[in-house]
Amino acid sequence: MTGEMIAFFILALVAICGGVFMIHSENVVHMVVSLIFTFLSIAGIYILLSAEFVAVVQVLIYSGAITIIMLFGIMLTKHDPKSEKRIAKSRILAVGTGVVAFFIIMFLAINKLSFKQQDVELYVHNVKKIGIELYSKYVIPFELTSILLLVALIGAVVLAKKDESEEMNEHE
Amino acid sequence: MDLYNVYQNNYLIVAVFLLLGILLPVGALTAGRLLRPNRPTKEKATTYESGIEPFQQSWIQFNVRYYLFALLFVIFDVETVFLYPWAVAYDELGLFALIEMAIFVLLLTLGLVYAWKKKVLKWN
Repeated sequence: MTGEMIAFFILALVAICGGVFMIHSENVVHMVVSLIFTFLSIAGIYILLSAEFVAVVQVLIYSGAITIIMLFGIMLTKHDPKSEKRIAKSRILAVGTGVVAFFIIMFLAINKLSFKQQDVELYVHNVKKIGIELYSKYVIPFELTSILLLVALIGAVVLAKKDESEEMNEHE
Repeated sequence: MDLYNVYQNNYLIVAVFLLLGILLPVGALTAGRLLRPNRPTKEKATTYESGIEPFQQSWIQFNVRYYLFALLFVIFDVETVFLYPWAVAYDELGLFALIEMAIFVLLLTLGLVYAWKKKVLKWN
């Protein structure tokens, strides 16, 4: 067992535990904190794969920004901690069957999958390589990304402004 | 392969820092819990509101405005992420990359101008 394997197992364990805690927790803030743990350990897995830039972006975007958005999403909705329902036994059974079936399918699918010898030089000038690839080969997808972001921005503005004009009408 | 080991061993230091960062508050809070007396009363558990009697829970529905600012932040955060590899690889890409990035930034600036015109940035 190499150090890489140990690191991977710890990170994978933290990621899965974070996800499970997020589902099981009843406190909204606890949910977000456990989700941050999942995101951070996934960033660690990226570092193990020599994808430094992706790891940093993961921390920057997901652990910071997306969690803010998620908190706002939760805060904007009405939250009643007392409206918890008991889960039926048949549902647990159904979920368990689904999990086992998923495991078997995934195991069969990736068991015989073999990658060729990976490029060990990935960590050298990682960001530069991404930049050259992105801005020479993948120009159109890159520009389309900006349009996607623009649509998201305008959509959010339109939705939120509509709410406000209604509020103004109510005040008048 | 030798350099690869150096790369990975460098991250051991990062891992040590992360571990310290998690363990320090956990240790401090656990020590505090062991040392302090625990006598909860009803008054102590209420929401603190600058000495005024609290009239509702602290978890209320926020104004939609805050959400818009957060979303604007996320969008420009993503834009910044695209700027990093561009800046690093700029020397080898030349003028074409500059035009590409100019279009990219211009499109997002259009969104910002739209938000500005719609008075999203104004707080009244």
